[in-house]
Amino acid sequence: MSAKQIVAGQPTAGRPGGGLRLFQADWLAPVASILGGLLLWELFARFIIRNPLFLAAPSDVAVQIAELLGTGELQKHMAVSGAEFAIGLVLSIVIGIGMGFVLASSSIARKVAGPWIACLYATPTIAVAPLIILWFGIDIWSKVIVVVVNAVFPVIINTEAGLRATDRKLLETVECLGASKVQLFWNVMFPSAIPYILAGVRLAVGRAIVSVVVGELFGARAGLGFMLAQASEVFNMPRLFAAVVVLAFAGLVLTTLAQMLERALQPWNRV
Amino acid sequence: MSGLIIDQVSKRFGALEALRSISVDVAPGEFVSIVGPSGCGKTTLMRVIAGLEKPDSGSVSVNGKRVTGPGIDRGFVFQADSLLPWKTIWENAVLGLKLNGKLDAEATERTRKLLKLTGLTGFENFWPGQLSGGMRQRVNLARALALDPAVLLMDEPFSALDAQTREIMQAELLKIWEVGRKTVLFITHQIDEAIFLADKVVVLGRRPGRVKEVIPIEFDRPRELRLKRDPKFVELVDHIWSLIEGDVRDSVSEDAAASAA
Repeated sequence: MSAKQIVAGQPTAGRPGGGLRLFQADWLAPVASILGGLLLWELFARFIIRNPLFLAAPSDVAVQIAELLGTGELQKHMAVSGAEFAIGLVLSIVIGIGMGFVLASSSIARKVAGPWIACLYATPTIAVAPLIILWFGIDIWSKVIVVVVNAVFPVIINTEAGLRATDRKLLETVECLGASKVQLFWNVMFPSAIPYILAGVRLAVGRAIVSVVVGELFGARAGLGFMLAQASEVFNMPRLFAAVVVLAFAGLVLTTLAQMLERALQPWNRV
Repeated sequence: MSGLIIDQVSKRFGALEALRSISVDVAPGEFVSIVGPSGCGKTTLMRVIAGLEKPDSGSVSVNGKRVTGPGIDRGFVFQADSLLPWKTIWENAVLGLKLNGKLDAEATERTRKLLKLTGLTGFENFWPGQLSGGMRQRVNLARALALDPAVLLMDEPFSALDAQTREIMQAELLKIWEVGRKTVLFITHQIDEAIFLADKVVVLGRRPGRVKEVIPIEFDRPRELRLKRDPKFVELVDHIWSLIEGDVRDSVSEDAAASAA
């Protein structure tokens, strides 16, 4: 019996075109791609480069990750970086939505703050990370500030754009149903801005990860960026790659989470 | 005075005179259609009645109360898609009640009956995006009626539907209307739709928007769609067409000139 026949015999999840077959099609290719890439990397490192000072093989990196997990060192660094990321991102989202709302509702605020935000959004504010470390020290709060300074702008800009893009006809219709200003905001403007805000949050996630690592490179006591900097100073390639792999994996998990959040928050778009 | 009274309403937008002294009375339980070519100020008139636009002079009153802003004494059904995509059919239907803190057991029951009347039972938990245009417009109707308004105002509610669906919706609207006999003002650019539904058709002219003629429609109710093939019906359509034909031609050639320029 071929795989296809087995699948055809399975009850599907109930949705036309859904079920196990789609699951396979969605997951098989990415997983095969990753495994193939790892294999090529392994072969390249073992038989062509053949110098662990330049390139560590994935198997060496895996051993290193296992060791670091065994001693608990990796968990410690992940906890610190994770805390910086999470606090920074939450602050960015809260401040970003708040400021986006103020900008969307006041033309004076738009005129006063607009140019600043446009400039700062376009500037690679990551460049001021060393300065922020200098001002605020090497504990986690300096990194939280680096994260906010970088991640808040896409949220502000998208929130403002989303709120201002609300369909005027929908607003008037709901106004005719007797809605107050506050009710209009929560029933019409905010839900209609959600896709924009979530797109902003997704951009913020990427910026926040980079901010954590760069911030830690410039000064920290712990964290994945700190671990990376230490490893690179002593040419410990497996350790360096261990940090990079963990960061890549975190990026993958966070992107998936962001997509799940988008679906969960907009059930009406799932149909 | 009860019902809906539009009393000498005029409105200008700069050099454009949108409405010139429009007066229309809709008695309680009466169904009145307003028909006119594009540019006759139908939409402006509706916005004035809604309280979204202030008239330069004249007034609108509902059951003797002068309109000063949006209010739930008037129920609106606008052109397609004024449902909130992020609320289910049920949440959309009770939205007006909820916003006004009136969603008690009795209102819930009334809304349930309205959804049944509009053929939407079983679709309560669907999203608007899952429904056809005709069904969405029925939800709009149920939502407007759920608040039990004194007057129902419909602004070209079927204009976004295809011709066949539109015919069916007209017949269904009449069926629903027979149940409660609400006071209705129905705005359309379709002459046969205006006649088929109404007790009285108000014909508007354009530039400026003004009342050209008020025509009583005396066909018996309940009406069936085949009425549209009755010689007397066709005669009325011809008459109204002759009233607005010149205006329609002007509007078409103006559009052509505008797109050529």
